[in-house]
Amino acid sequence: MTDTLIPEETPAPRQRFSWMYALVAVPLVIAGMVFWWGYNRAQPHQFSGAVIQGSTAAPDFTLWSDDGPVSLSDYEDKIVMLYFGYTHCPDVCPTTLTDAAAAIESLSDDEAEDVQLIFITIDPGRDTAERMGQYVAHFDESFVGVTGTEEEIGSVATLYGIYYRAGEGTEASGYLMEHTATLLVIDRNGNLKLVIPFGVQYDAMAADLRYMLR
Amino acid sequence: MNRRLVGITMVLALMAGACGGDADIEVSDIWGRPSPAVATNGAFYMVITNNTDAADHLISASSDACGVAELHESMMNDGVMSMSPVDAAGIEVPAGGQATLQVGGLHVMCIDKQADFDAGETFDLSLEFENAGTIVVEAEIREDL
Repeated sequence: MTDTLIPEETPAPRQRFSWMYALVAVPLVIAGMVFWWGYNRAQPHQFSGAVIQGSTAAPDFTLWSDDGPVSLSDYEDKIVMLYFGYTHCPDVCPTTLTDAAAAIESLSDDEAEDVQLIFITIDPGRDTAERMGQYVAHFDESFVGVTGTEEEIGSVATLYGIYYRAGEGTEASGYLMEHTATLLVIDRNGNLKLVIPFGVQYDAMAADLRYMLR
Repeated sequence: MNRRLVGITMVLALMAGACGGDADIEVSDIWGRPSPAVATNGAFYMVITNNTDAADHLISASSDACGVAELHESMMNDGVMSMSPVDAAGIEVPAGGQATLQVGGLHVMCIDKQADFDAGETFDLSLEFENAGTIVVEAEIREDL
């Protein structure tokens, strides 16, 4: 008896209802995704280090690589990364140079061509130009390693606010250097833009470089 | 009766032998970064777990890969990195706890590397503990990005 009370047309209205639901929901979801994407793109880039606001011209300098003199002004129109360290460093310097190399490696070929890293020794007593050249070549073919006299190194480090000092090591290790372990990034206009602290992973560095190269 | 007794004793002995339990000191994830011969010094990192109920200390290390191996600690103060040798007491591994040697911190400093460190290579590292004695481990050279 209950069978006769159920009208046959009931299924049809339900089908029409699902179609309309989909017609409204799908554009809404797409609109939401487009908005989210646009919103994210409009956000300011989050840098991995301290940003130097305004224009602070990076002072030029000339130091010595195993290929001859190297000046900051040799790399106009490129992003230059400066790192001050020493080749007897077992832990911190290899880590930073490995991360910087990986960051540059992850860029496109065009982008990578516009980035130059210069490794400046704060241990000129032990780091000759030849030694610096062999050391940086291990991390990336494009890296340049430079040294100078104690005075030359001292003056460049001072210009860039880099502190360094020889500390006591052991008989086996010899003296160990303490030094500011930041990676300085100079933009393509020759302004000091970014100070990246030790420990930043290569992908965050790469994101900063890509942003500065856009 | 004898055969069964022998059989049961053998099974029990085997079971007792299998129940070795955890070693007193376990060293895991021993690694170092690739570096060329011209990089005089290298570093090894690892995690040391102490399964006993008394603190132990890693007091020294040595390896054929290093002229001399020493225990050092990197420290960061206001952006300035420094490093100093660990004192004679060594690196403490607390009872039932761990000591971690990692980038930017405690490490075995491999002074005067005797070889290139190439990714994929392994080197034997001999670790001397105050209580647990000498433990030889294998360090792997890897990129670790």
